[in-house]
Order: sequence, then C-alpha cells, then structure tokens
Amino acid sequence: MNLGTKFLKLISVLALLVLVSGDAMAHGERAQLASMRMRTVHWFDIKVEPQNAKVGDTIVMTGKFIPSKFWPEQLPSVDDTFFLNVGLPGPKFIRVNSEINGVPMIRSTAAEKGKLYEFKVVVRARVAGRYHMHPLLNVKDAGTLVGKGTWIDVDESDSDAPYVNEVTTMQGDVIDLENYALGNVYFWHVVWIILGVAYLVYWLILPKKGVFIPRYMFIAESGIDKANSLVTKKDFMVSGVFFTVTLAIILTGYLWAESKYPVTIPLQTGKVEVVGYEVPTGGLEIAVENATYELTGRNLSMRTRMKNTSASPIRIAEFITANIRFINDKVPGTGMVAGEEMVSKDGLSVSVDVIAPGQEVDVLLKAEDALWEKYRMTGLIYDPDSRFAGMLFYYDAQGNRYQQEVGGAVLPSNF
Amino acid sequence: MSVELPADKITDVQRFDLSVLTRPSAQKFYKRFDGIIIFVLFAFIALGIMLQYSLTAGDWDYWVDWRDRRWWPLVTPITFMIFIGGFMYPVWRAFRLPVIATAVTTLLALSSWVSRYYNFHLFADFPMSFVFPSTYIALGILMDCVLAMTRSMIMTTIVGAFLFAGLLWPVNWPLLAAYKVPVEYNGLLLSVSDLMGYEYVRTTTPEYLRIIEESTLRTFGGSVTPLTAVFAAFASILVFALATMASSAIYNYAGRYTRRIA
Repeated sequence: MNLGTKFLKLISVLALLVLVSGDAMAHGERAQLASMRMRTVHWFDIKVEPQNAKVGDTIVMTGKFIPSKFWPEQLPSVDDTFFLNVGLPGPKFIRVNSEINGVPMIRSTAAEKGKLYEFKVVVRARVAGRYHMHPLLNVKDAGTLVGKGTWIDVDESDSDAPYVNEVTTMQGDVIDLENYALGNVYFWHVVWIILGVAYLVYWLILPKKGVFIPRYMFIAESGIDKANSLVTKKDFMVSGVFFTVTLAIILTGYLWAESKYPVTIPLQTGKVEVVGYEVPTGGLEIAVENATYELTGRNLSMRTRMKNTSASPIRIAEFITANIRFINDKVPGTGMVAGEEMVSKDGLSVSVDVIAPGQEVDVLLKAEDALWEKYRMTGLIYDPDSRFAGMLFYYDAQGNRYQQEVGGAVLPSNF
Repeated sequence: MSVELPADKITDVQRFDLSVLTRPSAQKFYKRFDGIIIFVLFAFIALGIMLQYSLTAGDWDYWVDWRDRRWWPLVTPITFMIFIGGFMYPVWRAFRLPVIATAVTTLLALSSWVSRYYNFHLFADFPMSFVFPSTYIALGILMDCVLAMTRSMIMTTIVGAFLFAGLLWPVNWPLLAAYKVPVEYNGLLLSVSDLMGYEYVRTTTPEYLRIIEESTLRTFGGSVTPLTAVFAAFASILVFALATMASSAIYNYAGRYTRRIA
C-alpha cells in the first residue's frame, strides 16, 4: 500500500468518525471513578424549573446534598473549602443568586460530612440554545463533583433589544455589566498601541538604509566598543521624548481615574459559614452486614440489619448512589420529576415490605439495573479500597420521607 | 573597508566591506530583508509571549476579577522579565536595537485582543467587559527608552526593570478603576469585578481558585499597592538580570559555535 492510499484511508476514517459521532451530551458524569461518585456527595431532589425558557427568563434549580461519611481518605473533602457552582457551557446564563441552607453562596464555604444541605441556584437565560444544567461542587484540591443534569431549552427573546445586565453601584449609578466601562478600556488600549507602534516604526521602519543587516555588519566590522555609536543623538532625543510622553500619559491617566472613580475597593474574597441540617432518619437503625456486586446480574446486594425504633411502620422506597435512583415501585410517592434522567423505576427490591414499629429484622436490598453498566459503575470492584455508599430513603405510615446513608465494604461476585 | 585585527581578536570581529551599505541596490535589499526579519521575529515573539504569559500569568489577565493588588502586579512583571530578558540582550548585542520590550508588550496586546474577542467573547460568550486584556505597552516603551538613552544593559536592569514593575498598577488603573467600584449584593460587599466573576458562570474556575491578596506579608498601614509595586520592582530587577545573563551566555556560546562552523 503506497503512502497516498494510506493517507486517503486515514482521511476516510477521520471523516467517518466526524459523521457518525454524536453531540457531546453531558459534562462527564461517567468519567470519574465509581467510588468517587458513590462516596463523595449524595445529590437528590434536584429540580429545574422551567425547562423551556426564553432569553431573559429566570430559571431556578433546587435540590439537596449530603456529603458522604464514607468520603475517600485520600481525597480532599468539603470540610475544607468548596464552591457551589452550576455546570453550564460557559456564561449562557447569568447566575443571579445561589444559596445553601438560606446562606448566599457568592463566596466559598465548607460543609460537614453527614449533614443535610439544601441548595438553590437562580440563573437568568442569556444565550439561546439547549443546555444540560448540573449543580456542581468545586472542592478545593479535589476537583468538581457533578450532580444530576437536566436539559433546558432556551429560545430567543421576543424583544429585539440587546441583552442588558444592570446593577446599581453603592454610589447609585446604574451600570450594564455587559459593556460596562468598555469605552475606557478601548480608549487606553488604542492610546498605548498607537504609541507602541510609533516607537517600533521609528526604530524599525523609518531608517531608509535598512536596519538589521547594516547594523549587524557595522558591529561585526567595527567591534563591540564602537557599537554604541549606532544609537545616535537623534535616537537619544527621540527616546527621551517617548520616555517623557509615556510618563506624562501614565500620570494623567492615573489622576483621571482617581478623580472619576474616587471610591474603590479591593477585590473581595473569603469564606462564608453555613450550618448543615441534621438528616431526618425517622427512627430506623440500619447496619450493613455485607454487600456484593454481581457482575453478570448488574446488581448490588446489601444484606442489612434494620431496627424500627419509631411508632410507625416503615417501608424502604429508594436507594440513590452516584446520582442513580433505584426505586422500589411497590412504595407510593417515589415518583420522577419532569425530565429526570438516571432513574431505574423498579430497580430496587426489598426482602421485607414493611418494618413494624419495634421490629428488628434482616433485610436484603438489591439494586439491579443496566444503569450500573451504562454509567460505568462496575468499576467500583477495581477500586483500591472496594467500598460503596449511597442514600436509603423510606416512608412512614403518614407518608413522611426519611433518609440515611448506608455504606461499607463490597465484594465482587462472578469474577 | 576592512579592519586588521590581532589573531586573538579574530573570533570576535568579522570582516565586512561596509562600503556596500551605501549602495542603493543594497539598501533596497536590506529593507526587504528587514520586512522578512520583522515578520519572522515578531511572529515568534507574539507566539512565544502568548504561550509563556498564558501558562504563567494567564488567569490574572483573562478575568477582571483576578486582577488583585498583590499577586497580579507581582507575577506579571516577573513573567515579562523572563521573556524580555531572553530577547533583549541578543537583539541589543547584534543590532543595537532597543525595541524588544515594546515589541513584546505591543504584540501581546494585539494577540490578546484577537484571542479575547474570538475565543472568549464570540466563542465562549463572555462579555468583553469581563475579559479585556491589561496593557503593558507603556512599560515596554519605558524600558526600551532607558536602554536607548543609557546604552547600558546594567542601567536597563536597574532602572528599566524597576519602572516596568513599579508602574504596572498606575498604567492599568484607568482601565481597572471602574471595576473596583463597590456594589452591595445579597447583603455582601463586592466590587463590580467580583460581581461579574460571580454572575458570568465559569464551571471550572470557582471562587476559591482566585489568588486574592493571599500571603502572610503584612503591609504598612494597608498600603498594599505601593508595597507590592516596590517588591515586584526589586524582584523584576533580579529576574531580568538572571534572564539577561542566561541569554548572553547562550548568545555568546552560539556565536562562537557558528563562527567555528563557518
């Protein structure tokens, strides 16, 4: 096979790849280690409303998360520093507000493992398109932990007016952040670029007899001791003028800025504190005795010992791990929200339907679905510490929902 | 015209007939050759400074909410000194042209505008008011002028590098002051640039990643800006001296090597 044929084949393969490959549909939810997704942050009750909007409309994302008590030892955690963020392809939206447990999250914060946090992110659509919006926690020194995504369609605004993002400064001026103070920026850049180009033109373009070769020949021929004679008295004068004019412009610009903006502050930073809520466990004590992951069956089986210390019967309704919901469809009230992904509608089977008040019983939970494979969770058996974690949800007779984290060692089967 | 030199000097001085410099045909050729050299040199400088600056001080210049009083005025001139020091000595030694600092800063400004407009604004949808580049051209002119007037690399190191770092903040203040105006937002005091950093979503650049006024250095009476300027100026002198020494060593070694080949 000659080189031309090889090249043609290569081009054909590349062209085929371009044609058959689809759009990027997500933000790497499957990319992280299974153990990291299972044992870092448990996200749940994520809602995004509305999912169809126009440019300028406000969209609200709410939800809850619990930092895992099984957080990997080697991974820096949220108890140091993290930032509540929103996963979007750039500033297609403006973040208007974000909060955790009612505390504004403009700055970074820290959280306690095992506590419950309710978050809210309000954004305003800025650019039309179809976007996958996630809640994110940027954890310092660990990276980004991604919550479940929701698709949002944003259409063009009915108005032809340009997009504005107005805020009022503490001096009472209303400014549009989309193009605020750009006139200054353009003006000063033009001034300095003109001066810089003029300086270069003087040295490199104006000499009519050429620059590089004559100067090099002169220095090479005359020796380094006479080289300075290439910088003439005129050059000295011109440089002096450039030097003086430059200093004068710097001083003028500085004084102008000081008079135009007399009140300025340094960049603001620091952390805010937020107190986590206690997780409502509803009087159910759960001890995981062992867990196995069956490769061929794509299921995680958890053998547990449960004791109901409450006055109401309890039914196990749902298991969530790595953003995947395994639902026990025999229990009412465990529905899906509109547009929700990563849900196994009947993926959770429970060996004991109702745990009576005061009853202590062995319960076998089996979370089974092809989603284990689809979301690359099977990799958990190759993790160095072979542990799992997830959230178990259950209801009492009055329909109150409770939850608690379960986790422990996991053994693979059918190797 | 040729100069007779002792044998031990023959490696430092080459022989050229300088009378050709006055011929019109030769001058025409030199002008054309200048065009090629300027294009190649400037393209190399533009790509080089963009790469180096992006890797070492990029975020401080990409985002208006990164340009703080302590780290931006310290990291930026040091980055420039490495690059300018690397080029200034060879160009001065071979051609006696005091243009490198101006060329580097001007080319960075032009290439940054292209990058910010097409990459950050048109492609990623950030408003230009959030991602406009800083300007350093005035500092480059000052440094080159010091070299042209003193004809001394030592004076350029002491005075030029000092001015470059020391005046970085005043040069950029007319662009930046508007973005340091205070606003109240959800009960917090923010500057306009802080607010822009919060509103215009950056998925992988969280708030804590900014290096804002971090250090244990205590300042006199809260005078962060002038103290940083002086410290950055002395640091720049040191870095520029080291970069110049390194480039002179490479230049002289390369010169001897090429003459040996010739």
